[in-house]
This record gives sequence, C-alpha cells and structure tokens, in this order.
Amino acid sequence: MIETQHISTPLLAAIIALLLPLLAFLIIGLFGRRLKRQGDWVAVSFTFIAFLFSAFCFSQIWQQAPQYFQLPWLNTGIIKLAIGLRLDNLSALMIILVTFITSLVMVYSMEYMKGETNYPRYFAHLSLFLFSMLGLVLADSLLLIYIFWELVGFSSYLLIGFWYNRDSAARASKKAFIVNRIGDIAFFIGILILLTQFGTLDLTTLFGSGNIQGLVQQSKVLGDHWMVINSAGSIHALNKTYLTIAGLCIFAGAAAKSAQFPLHTWLPDAMEGPTSVSSLIHAATMVAAGVYLVARVFPLFDSEALSIISVVGAFTAFMAASIAITQNDIKRVLAYSTISQLGFMITAIGLGAWSAALFHLVTHAFFKCLLFLGAGSVIHQLHHLKHEHHLDFDHQDLRIMGGLRKKMPVTYIVLLLAACALSGIVFFSGFLSKDMILMSAWMRTQTEGSGVTFLIALALSLAAVFTPFYIFRLIFKVFWGDFRLQKIHPAHNLIVHESNNFMKVPMMLLAAFTIFIFYSFNPIHAAHGWILEGLQAPLSNFNKETVISGFVESAVPAITLLLSIAAIFSAKKAYADQKLRFLSEDNLLFQFSQRAWYFDAIYDRIIVEPTVLLSKLTGWFDKRIVDGFVNLWGNLTISFAAFVAWIDKRIVDGFVNFTGSFSTWLGSLFRRTQTGRLQQYMALGVLGLILIFVLTYILH
Amino acid sequence: MLNGIPLEHFLYISTALFCCGLFAVLTRRNAVMVLIGIELMINAAILNFVSFGAFDKIKNGGQMFAIFGIVLAAAGVAVALAIILNVYKHFKTIDPSAIDEMKG
Amino acid sequence: MILTVLIFLPIFFLMVIAVLPKSQTSWFKYINLFVSAMQLGISFILYQNFDRSLSASTKEAGFQFIEKHSWIGLQLGSLGKLQIDYFLGIDGISIGLLMLSAFVMLIASLASWEIKTNEKGYYVLFLLLNTAIMGVFCALDFFLFYIFYELMLLPLYFLIGIWGGARREYAAIKFFLYTLFGSVFMLLVIIGLYFSVKDPLTGAHSFNMLYMMDTANYVKGSIFDISSGTALLFGIPARLLAFGVLFIAFAIKVPIVPLHTWLPDAHVEAPTPISIILAGVLLKVGGYGIFRVCLGIFPEGAIYFSWWLGLIGVVSIIYGAMNALAASDLKRLIAYSSVSHMGFVLLGIASTTVEGASGAMFQMISHGVLSSMLFFLVGVIYIRVHDREIANFRGLLLQMPVFSVFVFIAFFASLGLPGFSAFIAEAFSLIGAFSSASSNQLLPHWMAVVGAVGVLLGACYFLWTLQRMFFGAKHFRGGADWVKQLTDLNAREILALVPMAAFALLLGILPSLFFNLSNATLTDVVSHTLKTGSSQLQTLTNLLF
Repeated sequence: MIETQHISTPLLAAIIALLLPLLAFLIIGLFGRRLKRQGDWVAVSFTFIAFLFSAFCFSQIWQQAPQYFQLPWLNTGIIKLAIGLRLDNLSALMIILVTFITSLVMVYSMEYMKGETNYPRYFAHLSLFLFSMLGLVLADSLLLIYIFWELVGFSSYLLIGFWYNRDSAARASKKAFIVNRIGDIAFFIGILILLTQFGTLDLTTLFGSGNIQGLVQQSKVLGDHWMVINSAGSIHALNKTYLTIAGLCIFAGAAAKSAQFPLHTWLPDAMEGPTSVSSLIHAATMVAAGVYLVARVFPLFDSEALSIISVVGAFTAFMAASIAITQNDIKRVLAYSTISQLGFMITAIGLGAWSAALFHLVTHAFFKCLLFLGAGSVIHQLHHLKHEHHLDFDHQDLRIMGGLRKKMPVTYIVLLLAACALSGIVFFSGFLSKDMILMSAWMRTQTEGSGVTFLIALALSLAAVFTPFYIFRLIFKVFWGDFRLQKIHPAHNLIVHESNNFMKVPMMLLAAFTIFIFYSFNPIHAAHGWILEGLQAPLSNFNKETVISGFVESAVPAITLLLSIAAIFSAKKAYADQKLRFLSEDNLLFQFSQRAWYFDAIYDRIIVEPTVLLSKLTGWFDKRIVDGFVNLWGNLTISFAAFVAWIDKRIVDGFVNFTGSFSTWLGSLFRRTQTGRLQQYMALGVLGLILIFVLTYILH
Repeated sequence: MLNGIPLEHFLYISTALFCCGLFAVLTRRNAVMVLIGIELMINAAILNFVSFGAFDKIKNGGQMFAIFGIVLAAAGVAVALAIILNVYKHFKTIDPSAIDEMKG
Repeated sequence: MILTVLIFLPIFFLMVIAVLPKSQTSWFKYINLFVSAMQLGISFILYQNFDRSLSASTKEAGFQFIEKHSWIGLQLGSLGKLQIDYFLGIDGISIGLLMLSAFVMLIASLASWEIKTNEKGYYVLFLLLNTAIMGVFCALDFFLFYIFYELMLLPLYFLIGIWGGARREYAAIKFFLYTLFGSVFMLLVIIGLYFSVKDPLTGAHSFNMLYMMDTANYVKGSIFDISSGTALLFGIPARLLAFGVLFIAFAIKVPIVPLHTWLPDAHVEAPTPISIILAGVLLKVGGYGIFRVCLGIFPEGAIYFSWWLGLIGVVSIIYGAMNALAASDLKRLIAYSSVSHMGFVLLGIASTTVEGASGAMFQMISHGVLSSMLFFLVGVIYIRVHDREIANFRGLLLQMPVFSVFVFIAFFASLGLPGFSAFIAEAFSLIGAFSSASSNQLLPHWMAVVGAVGVLLGACYFLWTLQRMFFGAKHFRGGADWVKQLTDLNAREILALVPMAAFALLLGILPSLFFNLSNATLTDVVSHTLKTGSSQLQTLTNLLF
C-alpha cells in the first residue's frame, strides 16, 4: 500500500478533470431544460476545461515518476480498501486522449443532435460517460476500475438507448448491458481470486511500477501451487490453475467491453445509438477500455492465458474484417471494423507486444472516431433530405448513397485520410501501429515456429488485407459513382449540402492526427517515436520479449503495404467502376459474412432461448411443484381435518348422541306407562308382584 | 288348628276377600267403591294376622297388629273420603280413571 | 429508557387513535406519520451516541442502551424459579436494522395514504406492528424476543387479510401458517434452552439470550449442555437439531428456497405499505435472528451446516432470479428478486468471514431500502390503474418521466450498479464466500461464482422489464383511459422516494457509514462462531462418533 502523500499539482489537476464532467452531469441532469441552450455549453466547456487540465497533467507526468493519491474508504475484516488515483504514463495518455476526443465529439454533437427532444439528456449522459471513463483510467485499484467499468457500461446503455421509443434501440441497449455484464461478472470473479490470493486490489501493490516488482511478479508457481507472500505478510497459496483462471476472467471482462469473440455481438447493435455516441464510445474510448484493462493487469497473464488471448484476438480480427466486407449499413461496416481493430490490439497484448497494442489504441481512437464522425456527417445530411422531402428510406444504407464526393468535399477528404490510416498506408498513423503488431506476430512465428503462432499471424495478415478493401468499398460506395438515391426518387430534386462548421472543425482536427508526424518523426518506423518511448511494458514473469529484427522488420510492412494497395484498387474496380464482382449475394460465403457468421442466431438459439425457457420452467416449477407442494400440504391437512371432523361428528359425537337418543327412546317408552290412572298403576303393581312371585317360584 | 278349623280355610277366605277387594279396586269407576275394595283388601290382611296370631299365644303379636291395622284402616278411610270429597269438588267426578293429573 | 420509548411510542399513539372518534379519521395518517418520524429521530439519537468500538457480541458488555428489569418471577416449586427479564439492548447488528426499520416505517406511513377503508383499524394494527418490529430488534431476553416475534404476525395477518388484493385471505393465511410453522418449533427450543441454562448470579433458570451464548451457564447433563454426550434426539445431537429448527424458523422469514412461496403471494396481495414493511423489515428479522440466535447460541451448528447454508443461499439467488425472469406481474417479479437478493445474505452468513458477514448485514440494509422503493414504485402504478401486468404497459417513460427516473434508479441500484448500496453488499457477500475456502475451508469457490451469475441474471430481468414496460412507443392496455389515469408522481410520492434513492446512493458511496457501525460486532460474531463453534463441534464429534 502506498502512503498517502500531499496532493501534488498534477494529481489535483487530474481530480478536477475527473470531477468536472460529473458536475456537468449533475447540472444538466437537474436543471438542463432551464439553462440557456439547454445546457450544452456546460458540457462542452467543462469537457474542454477537463481537457486542459488533462493536458497539464500529461505534460507533468509523461516520462516522470508515477504519482498517487489515496483516501481510505472501507475497512472490514482483512480487506482495507482505498479509493485513489494513479497517474502514470498510461493513465496520463488515456485522459488526454479521452478528454480531447470527447471535447471534439461534443462540439460536433451540438450540431448533430440539434432539435432532439432530449437534447439536454444527451449531454448529461455524455458527461456521465466521460466521468466514468476518466475514473476508469485514473483508478488505482482493481475494485475502483471495476466500479467505473460498470458505470461506463451504464452510460453506454443510456446512450445506446437514447432513442428509447425505438424498439430496436431499446433492445440493443439491453443487449449491450447484459453482454457487458457477462464480462463484468467474469472480471469480478477474477478480482475475487486476486483479492483472496493477494489480500489487496491496489494496482501498484499488485503489479508494481517501472522496475519494481509487485506481488503478482513475486508470486511463484511451485508444483501445483501458486504461492505468494500476500499483503498481510503471510504465505498464501491457491491451485496453479487459478493463475490462468484469474487472467482469463479479467480478460473475459475486457473481451466484453472491447467486443471480442465470443462477446462481440453487442457492438454492431449498439449502432442504434446516435452516431456521435458510436464515434466516441463505441469506437474511440469505451471499447478501448478492455485493451487498457488487459494492459494494466498484463503481468498477471501466464503463458496459457496469453496464448488464449492472442488466439481470441486474432480470430476476432479476422472474423470481424470478413463481416465488414459485406455490410450495407454504413455504421455496421465501421462497427465491425472497430471489432477487428480491437482484435489487433488484443492479439498484440497476447503476443507480448504491449506497447504496440497501446500505440494502436491511440492511433485507432483518432481515425476510427473520425470515420464515425464522417459517416455521421453523411447520415446527418441524408436524414435532412429525408425530412425535407418526406421520403422513406434507410439513411444509413450504403446502397442509396454515391457520388457525394463533390457535394461534401470536406467530409470526403477527412474520411479518405481516416481510411488510409485504417488501411495502414504509409505516412499515416495506422501504418506505424498496425504494422508493429503484424511484425510482432510474424516475428513470433519465426522464433517459435509453432502452428498456432503462424495461424495467428496469418489471420492478422488476412484481416489487414480485408481492412483496406472494406473501408475503401465504403468510401467508393458513398463518394464515387452516381447518387443512387436520386435515381430511386427521380421526381425529387435532392441536393446534399456539406455539414456546417460545428461538424467540420472537429473532423478536420481529428484528421490531422491521422498523419504519422504526431507519433513518430520516422514515417515508416515508430520504435523511436515519443509515444513508444513512454510506453514500456510492465514486468512480467511469463512474457518473452519479442525483438523485431531482420527480414520480418522490412518484409512485413512492405508486403502488407503492397497487398493493401492492391486491395484498394480492387475495391475501386468493384465499387467505383463496377467492373468487378467477387461473389453474388446469394453465395453461401457472402451470406455467411453478411449475416455476421450467424452469431446472433446461434446465441439466440443456444443461450437466450434456453434461458427464457428455463425461467419459464422454474416459474412453472415454483408455481406447480414448490407451491403445489405447499398447497398440497394445505389441502391434505384440510382433507385430514375434514376426515377428523367426520369422525368427530359421526363416531365420537355419534356415540354421545346415541346415548342421548337411546335414553330419550327409553324414556318415551316408559312415559307411556305413566298415564296417571290409578287403577292402571295398581294393576301393574299387582302384575309386577305376581311376576316377582312367579320368578321367585321359578328360581327356587 | 283353630277350634278344629284348619288354618288353610282362613287363608282361603282371606284370599277370596283380597281378590274381591282387588277386583273392586281395579274395576270400579267410583272412588268410594275403590275405597271399599281397599278396605276389603286390608281386612283380608287383618284376617291373616289374626289367623296366624293364634299360634302366638304369649305375645299376641298378630292380634295386636290386627287392631293396629283396623285403626289405621279407619283413619285411612277418613282421610280417603276427605280426599274424595275434595276431588269431587275439583273435578266434578270421582272416577279415578278420569283424574290423571296431579296439578291442582 | 430510550429503547423503551422507541418501542412503546406507537402503543401510546395507538391508544390515542383508538379513543379518537370516527370524525377525526383524517388525523390518523398524520399521527402515524408523526410516530414514525419521532422514531426515526430517536434512531438518529441512537446512531449519534452509539459506541462503535464495543465488540463483544455475546457479553452484556458489548451491548449499549441496556435496560434490564425483572419482569416475571414465579416460584414454581420443584421446577425452580421462573425468571423472565425485560432485557433490552443493542449492538452493531441491531443498530443498523433498527435505523432501517424506523426509516422503512416512515416510508410505509407515507405509502399508507392509499388506505381508504376502515382507517382506524388499519392504523391501530400498523402501530402495533411497529412496536413489535422495534421490540424484536432490541429484545435480549428470548422470551421477550419471542413475544415480539409472534406479535408481528397478528397485525400483519389482518393487514393483509383485510386491506389486501383479490386473493388476500389465501395470502394472509398462507403467510400466517408458514411463519407460525417455524416459530412453534422455535418455542420448543426456547423451552429446552430455558431448562438448560441457569443465571450464574441467581441460580434460577433464565431466558437471557446472552447467558445462553456461554456454555459455562449450561446445567450439567441438560439437553443442550455441550458436554453431555447423551443428548441425542432422533439420533442427532440435540444442539445441532436445535440449530436446524431455529434456522428453519428464521429462514422462512428470510425466505429461502424452497420455503419462500408465502412471499410472492403475500407481497402481491398485500397493500403497498404492507409490502414495503414485509420486504423492508420483516425479511430482515429472519437474517437478524440467524445472526443473533443461531450463530450466537449454537455456533457449532453454523460451522457444521455452513456448506448447506451456502448452498441454500446460492440456490435462492439463482432460483429467485429465474423466477423473476419468468414473472409476468411486476410485483411478483420484485418479490422474486427479493428472494434472490436475500440469498446473498445467507451466502454471506454461511461464509463465516468478516467480509461475508458484513456483506450480509449490508445487503439486509440495502435490500430493505431498495425493495421498499421498488414496492412503492409498483404501488404508484397500481393505485392509478389497478393493474400490474408487465405486458399491459409500454412506453411508460414517455408517459411518466419522473416516475421512470426513479424506476431507473431503483432498478439499476438493485441490479448492483456500483455507486449504489446493493453493489457493495453483493460484492462483499461474494468476497466473503470466495475467500472462505482459503480462510476457513467452509465454502467451496464455485458457490461465489454461481452467486455472481445471479448478479448477471439480476441485470437480465430488470433490464428486460425496463425494455418491455418503459421503452418503446406508448401503448397501454387500458387505452386512452389509462393515459389519463397514469399521471406522474405527486409531491408526497416524490417526498417518499427521494430519501430512499438518496439513502441507497449514500450507502453506496460511503459504505463506511454503516461498516464502521457493525464492524466491531461482526468481527466478534465471526470469531466467536469460528472459535467457539469449532471447539464445540469438536467436543460433539468426540462424544458421539
């Protein structure tokens, strides 16, 4: 446990940056409608101030010693929980990234969300999200991370369901939260294991910092046992499988947030939210939290966990890329692209390319956010058209777009830049970060030579080739060719405008960050760029450092680049010039891809439906069997009581009544002799006397 | 043996007397006649006392009891007649079978 | 004196209400509200003056605000002296529940506005119930405890049976019989204990619970004497049997699966304020009893049965959640969610760790507040349209926005969103259950894991309900009539809901407010259970097997 020091200036700045969005949430949430402009300026200005504070933090912390701030929170039993902040390179980088992108998206939203009935609620929720996200990256203990982790999920739920009166949005928000909850539960179980083993959840105590070992690095696997001298100073041991399980549990939490297979299905549905939300939360920040978490707890993963992580990541990267190729919804293409790119990062973590993963996280945040904002710009204009001309069409469908290049030049150019970055074209950010991951994968194959690592590298490379194809398919479909909507509705004169400055300026700012220069002065190799210098993987007992060198270092980027360019050209041929067709729409492979590998259907069939069925069954069981048993008891008791009552009435009481009635009968019999006639009495008396005489005579 | 007459004969007469009395008691519809019947029965009993009393010459218990019985019978007749008078006054009849309630 | 005032204040006003003429009916609810407010004030005084450092849970020294007077003392010839004390006192276990009760009673008083028939009878019974509830949490003499315990049943029976819904008689009788079933056997154990325990000062037999917790006070060779190896009933050691009997008596109240079926019926049929009391306070009497009586008097039973207790807890969590998922009536859904949430209490207790015990206690407080809030919210729509079927509502968020915000808060708080009390409670119960395997080897790891799955199911049924009832386009079965009737919350309802939401949030953010209160006592309870329990279990085992 780190002693609480006095609060240094960067920490104070971080705390202010953290609390400002919360304040904005409260102000807008409580008084939003009464404020001028419904309070959007509160959110925007607070976020911008938070960005300034974060920038200050960043300048103070980057490449300096980490700083901590802790307050005791809860003591019970052996557990002493504190709440606190931890500022190090990673968290400083994350807060500046998050606040910067959020500021831009908020400005963009002022135009994009204009006229919405729940305009203030949007900004309130966005502020709440920012607060949770900042809390998540600043938190210094796993429990605190978990708390903000769930809050991030909650604000994402609120924002996906922003248009709650649309059924699909309501369903998508529920799905997102529940799928995330599955991951959360796994994460929580991981926390339980760590807490039991180490007696603390403090990040620094657990994972150390810099070259100092934490408890996790000190723990040893001896035979079947995973031993450690825990925070209370006593030896604690668990079975060694718990080490793998703990790592995988936490990874499962990350997989849910970062939409990795098999918990990826919520992210495409989450596109039901406003595009600005998709851009910020479901592309740039929240989904990256999973990668952030995996990076934070990196020393925990043993070799089994690491290989599972890299396999899952590579599979996801390939699968999502293959799905993105055939999607017709502009946002879904981008959603699957996000999943695919997150897969790259996760694989990188699994391969031990820790800094490459985080580097890609940063570059991806910019260009993917930009892609969404550009898509949003297109969607926004088409949405306007729809209202203006009272038409009915899906304004997110790629098939109705086309030829927007000249009508929306700025949007076109920024999207083109972002697409190049995503595709990994040289001189763009993506080239630097993605190729680092690919190089690590191939390097690992070369050094280890195992089939699994080869498959991982192959899957990643395939995904890397699919990527330029699907993104340029999108670009060509939207901006090249003819405006297909006009063809469908020839009667209307459909004029598309460029979006205004509120939307343009944030996009242009983001576009700048797709250029290599911000990350490394060397356009083809980032290893000596400032960002990688600052991102050093924490110590790990299980990670084998992969040094990239030799053939791989030059061949992989070159080959990938060539293939990417080839992919772009074939996309142009197919979608801009319409001269090439790969697969017909009813081809099985095409269907497989378009239906997203049937994951939703399968999950519905094997998880959702059985669960609902099981609940119906338990409901029936409870009503009929358990309660039925109780009622049976009741009824049996009542029946038995009725039987006893019968006995009581007929037998016991019957005997009493019989005695009574017999006496009555006897009485009535004798009453008849009581006539009151003297002579009759006399005669009877004499008769009796005679009888006695006779009897006496006979007896003697 | 009583003056040569055997005891049985006294008893026969007594029995006859008793039966006459009993018959009168059971059959007469006149209370006075019933009373007479009772007197006959008492007299039959007294005759028996007297007859057996002949065998007890020292104490003369039988004779004594007979006299006692006669006195009692006389008193009884007096009371009975008084009752009969009262019954008549009340019920306007002295038929014992018509008088079947004791309530005054 | 302060505890007596707290307990008998309602009785005083009960008499006031009883003598007030019918024409003053409109005052009753205000009198009732005033009583509850006074009690809440008193409980705050208790909170302020509560010494958080006292730890002995089995000695008189660990209790505060003690009142001890000789109450019934009869010479019974050869049976000795019958000694029943009027013995009150509170410690870290009861203070929180006492405050919770005062709080919930206040909310229930506010909810009582909906009662429109025979108000005099209602408020008389309500105040009687209030006295009984306060008494149960303060009584330290088992006989006194039992009196208050049974006294709770009577008013509840009538409150459900007279002011309830369509099947009220069935529900009331079911509830009454269920609980009576448990408590009758409890009485046998109480009598057995009475004849086994002697007051070390006077030498008379005693009902004093604290004496019962110390084995030194047991008469040699008596039925519950630990050292007498002969005390077998039906082949089971009498002490273990007694633990089982007491546990079942209290577990019916908690309730546990499969002894829970009174709860959905009672909740569904009871009027809103009574549902609030049932869920908010009554279920906690069960948990309190297990802590105070089962663990205190028969700690070896808690050790011996811990695996089964944990299993029952886990089964309750999952089973309750599954049933909530299947429920079509909103109130029934919440009733089953209570079953699920109270399972965490049992799991925490079974873990016999300080974390688990704290989690269990905290879950009782948290669930008390949240379930009160949930039932209050259901009452809000029921009072407006007399319908609670989930399928009959859609798009309520558009119709009643303020109401929906509170539903959101209550649902997310209940499903364990961090920042609200239920998260801390469930987290600690699970931490306790998980760490039990290493610290005392009582519960296996999988129980905590399965319990965590219950948290997931909680999200499923609450979110599904939100999606079905609150989202989507506005559509009600009652059509335009309902649109008119479903007005948003009024000031009184907001006044009742805001404190509950605030309380849940406050406890979620600053759980130490409560943890500090109970920590010392719970640490002692756990160490008492572990230490005394294990050694006594050892003694029993040595004697018997």
